[in-house]
Amino acid sequence: MNEVLLSNQIIVFLLSESTLFILLLVAFVVSLKVLVKWDFESFMPFQFALERQAYLVSTIILFVFVMKFILVVYFIFSIDALSLLLPGAMCGAGVIKANVYGSYLLVLKLSILFLLTLWFYIHYYDMRTKNHQWFKHKSWLFSLIFVFIVLELGLDFSYFSNIDTHLPVSCCSALFGQLEGANPLPFGLSVSLLLVLFYLLYILVILSLKSGYTLLYILTNILFVYIAYYAVVYFFGTYVYQLPTHKCPFCMLQAEYAYVGYLLWASLFMGTYIGLSDAISTLWLGKTDPKSKNIVVWLLSLFVLLCTAYVAVYYLRNGVLL
Amino acid sequence: MNANAFWHFLTLQLFKERSKHLSVIVISAMILFLLSSVLFISSSIRFSLEETLKVQPDFVVSRVQGGISVPTPMIWEDELIDIYGVSNVIQRVYGRYFFKAKERSFLIVGVDFLEEQSHENLQKLIAKTDIKAFLNGSKMLVGEGVKTYLDAHFYKDDYNFLTPEGTFEKVNIFKTLPFQSNLIANDMMVMPIDLARKILGYSEEEVSDITFNVPNPDEWDMMTDKVSALHYDLQVVNKKDVQKSYENLYNYKGGLFLILFLVVLSTFTLILYQRYSMVYSSERRNIGLLRALGWSINDVLKFKFTETLVIVFASYILGVFFAYVYVFVLGAPLLKEVFLGGQNLQNTLTFVPVLDFSVLTSIFLIYALPFIAAVLIPVWRVSVTEPKEAML
Repeated sequence: MNEVLLSNQIIVFLLSESTLFILLLVAFVVSLKVLVKWDFESFMPFQFALERQAYLVSTIILFVFVMKFILVVYFIFSIDALSLLLPGAMCGAGVIKANVYGSYLLVLKLSILFLLTLWFYIHYYDMRTKNHQWFKHKSWLFSLIFVFIVLELGLDFSYFSNIDTHLPVSCCSALFGQLEGANPLPFGLSVSLLLVLFYLLYILVILSLKSGYTLLYILTNILFVYIAYYAVVYFFGTYVYQLPTHKCPFCMLQAEYAYVGYLLWASLFMGTYIGLSDAISTLWLGKTDPKSKNIVVWLLSLFVLLCTAYVAVYYLRNGVLL
Repeated sequence: MNANAFWHFLTLQLFKERSKHLSVIVISAMILFLLSSVLFISSSIRFSLEETLKVQPDFVVSRVQGGISVPTPMIWEDELIDIYGVSNVIQRVYGRYFFKAKERSFLIVGVDFLEEQSHENLQKLIAKTDIKAFLNGSKMLVGEGVKTYLDAHFYKDDYNFLTPEGTFEKVNIFKTLPFQSNLIANDMMVMPIDLARKILGYSEEEVSDITFNVPNPDEWDMMTDKVSALHYDLQVVNKKDVQKSYENLYNYKGGLFLILFLVVLSTFTLILYQRYSMVYSSERRNIGLLRALGWSINDVLKFKFTETLVIVFASYILGVFFAYVYVFVLGAPLLKEVFLGGQNLQNTLTFVPVLDFSVLTSIFLIYALPFIAAVLIPVWRVSVTEPKEAML
């Protein structure tokens, strides 16, 4: 008997994912039919029936859209709770690395959230046109999302059923910390260069967003997420934990650090999702939402300020840096 | 559409159709009540066990031969004291004392009252006890359950133990153990170590096990290896192992319940689907009217969804609230026995109120998600009603 599968949170999580999948399957079948037969110029009763069915698809996706965000938070929370059962694990990092599926699953979940946000943008614009101009765009996007979600459900089950509770896993300090002198940072950066890059990229993201260089913005924002991840793990995280050797993206999600990780990662990812979705719909559909840009600036600034505040508060209290 | 007008219309509609919604809310609240009670009890017990575990000694060393525990030689204590980083090495003598006729048992715990204890609560208890009076003659401290049981069998002040040698040992009851420790101490008798040895049949050089603390938790894994290398027949258990096995036990109980609960949930979902399909088909006329008045499909969808959400939240709050009262105020009569097991001494335990994010979200997800999923298709079906069609 696999003890992981009896954990209450995991049962609830797998059940929720499966229920959503059944709904999406219905939506997918209907959506394919609509997509193939769709002809907005036609005045046949069949076309009107299709238009009504399109409402079912969008209602289901909107519901899934909201639930998936809740479920990702719940997933991370359950992973964290599992660390008690696995020998050696002290936070979610060890549990995610308990088998090969874990890291792929996490990346896949984050990508699906992004695609859903993008779908939401296209849907929003589509509903405001009189002739459902972007209906085919959003349906093809949904088909892509569905393929990812099939993959995700498969990974969900293979990940949780293959966690061996007797095999010791590495704790976060072994995964991120002691690398025996090897430099874990990308492009051979040092920590000080990483920080310079972090703040420069942040400024570039805001500038390119405000000045409307969409392509440049997309590139810099992707790079910013990449650099911000390393900056949080290898520099800002150590101030959250107030320990120079503690390098981990997961421990800050625990109660000891007032769950600050959820706020930190959520502001970074939500900002990026919204920004990229808006940018892509600008390039693809020629539609821009000025309100989104402000939200992105707010969220990313919150993220940068929060990171900086931890360092500043530490310095003001102790008079030294770590 | 004006948001205020929308909400006003929604409340009017909900109130007008209250008999339709009331039955769904009552059934949902009942199902939620059952689910929440079980999860509340399970999380509360887990919390209490963790609190109890926090004050327990970090390591327990005992002698195991062929998988069976045998008395541990007292000489091992000296070997443990010599290891750097180990503190509070304490020998313990304990065991179960059976009333053969009644198939009941007490847990006898022998304590060396003159030494410092590795169990923090015991340490506090001893600090409060008048040791001089306690050690004067054979005396013991007993748990709540033991006290009630002995009172009922006319052993008001003392009890006559039968030792393995066949002699009687009369021990006076000194005091009752504090009420908060009931989950573990309910059937406990605490007495001086030599007396416990006599009653349980240990020789002078033997103990049940030896406990010690290692203040630096980073050294625990290394210490486990080091201590188990001392002797071939030595078994060492640390607090993390115990915590893990507790976690597994309660996951098992709660998990099994949840899996069985899925049957109820899927039936419930099917019933909801059926019922809403029926209810909404009778509402087609209303929807047709709204559409004729100029509502778009999206407006109707939004309206019906908000109605569903109100029902979901109302039943969620009701169900969780009643479960809270049932478990933490009334003490979960009947359901408690499933989790605690009432075979031995009657336990009078109150649940410590624990409400954490994880339990509340779990309840919400396992209930609201299937509910909305079941209602979604009927809602859509009625929302796309053509005004002309409905009027026919």
